[in-house]
Amino acid sequence: MARILVADDASFMRQMIREIVESEGFEVCGEASDGIEAIDEYKRLQPDVVTMDIVMPRKSGIDAVRGIMDIDPTACVVMCSALGQETLVTEALQAGAKDFIVKPFKPDSVIDTLKKVLEKEV
Amino acid sequence: MAKYRVIFIEESMEHLVEMSSAMLELEKGFANAEAIDMIFRMAHSIKGMAASLEYDSIAEVSHRLEDRMQEIRSAGSVADNDELALLFRGLERLETMVAAVRETGESPPPDLELVAVLTPSADESSKKKVLSPTL
Repeated sequence: MARILVADDASFMRQMIREIVESEGFEVCGEASDGIEAIDEYKRLQPDVVTMDIVMPRKSGIDAVRGIMDIDPTACVVMCSALGQETLVTEALQAGAKDFIVKPFKPDSVIDTLKKVLEKEV
Repeated sequence: MAKYRVIFIEESMEHLVEMSSAMLELEKGFANAEAIDMIFRMAHSIKGMAASLEYDSIAEVSHRLEDRMQEIRSAGSVADNDELALLFRGLERLETMVAAVRETGESPPPDLELVAVLTPSADESSKKKVLSPTL
């Protein structure tokens, strides 16, 4: 069972992702509400995948990707973006993120993306 | 969805309080980067939640407010008192809309006029139109 760390400053979004991924049998092993917490929780939990919001306090999702890639260059991070954030998504992919999902979340799309990145990791 | 509606109302109201405090900070200094960033993030967050629940009118106003804040972030400062007043107007409208969701459970009606004036540079183009000679 894949272990997922959910990073988003909105508890609404964290719950929504949790519900979607748990319905498919994934385990949410932790949550983070800002970029610094995301890096700290990555170090502590070593999840299989991180879902990472872009706009967060203290440290942005993009900077958090850079921080995680510094710790673990093989890390699997999927960005959570909104429409209109294409430039930021590109920046995140260049920083090492593997893929992205778009808000508002469509459960099938979230699951397909997670399965796709996990398959590549095997 | 009822569960998410409750979370949306609680979280949005918290964000609107934070947004209000940040706008009061901007009254003291137009270039307060922390306050500008806070309003941007709060608008972004409300937009995402509202869009997820198909509260389109709230998503639209918060989206335009977010875009406006992005422009202010790039400029490094609120332009003038008129722009600050516009931000307060956006905040008040969002407060009204979230309150409407709490009371009715439905998406409130859109505010197209506010959306138009919040759209970055819309006020500039309207000023240009006013200044253009009408022959």
